[in-house]
Amino acid sequence: MNNAKFRTMVESGEPVWDVVDVTIEFLYNGVTSDLFEKLDLSKINTDRLSPIYVHDYGIADIAWSYNIGYNTEAFKEGEHPKSWADVFDLEKFPGTRTLRDRVAPMMEIALMADGVGMNEVYDVLATDDGVERAFAKLDTIKDSTVFWETNSQSQQLFTDGEVSCGVILNGRAFDAAQKGGPVAIEWNQNIQSVDYLVIPRGSKNIEVAHGLIDEMTLAENQAKLANMIAYSPTNPDAFAMIDAEIAPWLSTSPENAEKGMLINAAFWEERLATLAEKWEAWKLS
Amino acid sequence: MARPVRRGGYGWLIAPAVGVLLVFFAYPVFWLLLRSATDPHWGMQNFVTVFERPVYLRVLWNTVAISGMTTLFCLLIGYPLAYTMANSSERVRRLLVFVVLIPFWTSLLVRTFAWMVLLQKQGLINEVLVGIGLLERPVALIYNRLGVLVGMVQILLPFMVFPLYAVLIRIDGSFTAAAATLGATPVRNFVRVYLPLSLPGVLTGSTLVFIISLGYFITPALLGGAGDLMIAQMIERQIAHFGNWGLAGALAVLLLVLTVLLLAAMHRLVGVRTVWER
Repeated sequence: MNNAKFRTMVESGEPVWDVVDVTIEFLYNGVTSDLFEKLDLSKINTDRLSPIYVHDYGIADIAWSYNIGYNTEAFKEGEHPKSWADVFDLEKFPGTRTLRDRVAPMMEIALMADGVGMNEVYDVLATDDGVERAFAKLDTIKDSTVFWETNSQSQQLFTDGEVSCGVILNGRAFDAAQKGGPVAIEWNQNIQSVDYLVIPRGSKNIEVAHGLIDEMTLAENQAKLANMIAYSPTNPDAFAMIDAEIAPWLSTSPENAEKGMLINAAFWEERLATLAEKWEAWKLS
Repeated sequence: MARPVRRGGYGWLIAPAVGVLLVFFAYPVFWLLLRSATDPHWGMQNFVTVFERPVYLRVLWNTVAISGMTTLFCLLIGYPLAYTMANSSERVRRLLVFVVLIPFWTSLLVRTFAWMVLLQKQGLINEVLVGIGLLERPVALIYNRLGVLVGMVQILLPFMVFPLYAVLIRIDGSFTAAAATLGATPVRNFVRVYLPLSLPGVLTGSTLVFIISLGYFITPALLGGAGDLMIAQMIERQIAHFGNWGLAGALAVLLLVLTVLLLAAMHRLVGVRTVWER
């Protein structure tokens, strides 16, 4: 899903989709730009969801995280990069890096690598100096970094041994490892995010769309998804139906969640446009 | 004897092709170009942005530099190849034509992915070089400028070789023979006689390769690194990531103007017809 395509689709007045999974940053953004239908919460059983996952315009369906990923042939477990600072340390942990080719949340990661604590990341990033600092830190590994555009690319880079460590989504690392790839993740300093199901404004099937969203929050359906790609359910009853070996891969498992931080969707809603342009300029500089 | 074909009167035969082009090519292109001056409002603001922010000029420079290098390497590889094709036995010529044409029959995407498989750290080339001890550790052949050039040169080589070949095959051997009898050394003979005669081919091939390179998208996107962004990718990014149709339109105008200028220049210098017809 890409945001501009979504916007164009809604502006055309003929959305081809009726239910769309969007990231939390886009949920905030789209509400401001009036891209979604307001949900009729009486048509969706929200009681089975934690209140933090219910929004006037979207219902959260999965929770997931950006993690430190590493190639298990390059680093043994225990001797692998355990912090973003390690990922930025080319001497201690040699090899090519990979980062997501988007400004979010690479800024957060760079600041953490530069020693900023998880709780202060957004305070620092709100200042011009903080942004400079993040880019300066990114400069230190730029020449050794391959940037991924899509999640499948990130998976491929790790599986092929093209990179030794970097950024990967927990579910993608799980999928790569399932398929025999030499990939593992570290949970320290993970960045948590949530996807929401929304109905594009102008949808012709609003009634059915509500039904689908309701269906997608059923415990058994969410458990099926989690068993496939290790993205966490938003319906707590689903946990009981998830395979035991998946649990360590879930971003919402308590021991994983407490090692990480939540992405600040409000921050990105405000700053995405300006910082994204800076990101493009930085990459070319 | 069959009746001679009547000249003219068959213009309507191209109507379907023209119709398809108008609806599916001219209209959308015109629409995007229009947005460069109307989105978000009337004015030149998008063009001002393109020329004011270093990032867009950098992308433009990248595009010209990568296209120029691709053209140069295509010429260096393509000239000897076309020369051999034009001056060898029928069997060798057919074999070479076949070899040069193979890339034409394979999908661009497949070839680009094939290069990824070959060039990556644990790819064939690195494994062999490390295996025979030439390299201590794999080197980066991909996700950088080198990867882009390797991919683009291989894919665009036929566009250099065939126009060149079309010109070289028609060079009258008696010219060089005459120069040789008059005492020209092989080098002098080539530089003073053969090369000038082949120039229309060189110019046509180079212009073709350069122009096609300017709008290249998939190969630099898959084989390039962070610094190798070309203008076509930037246009896609403006639309897909930022929904900025106006700026995308302005960049498209720039690409179009550059292409048309080059084509016009080539037409003035050689004339497309001198290469393909005679």
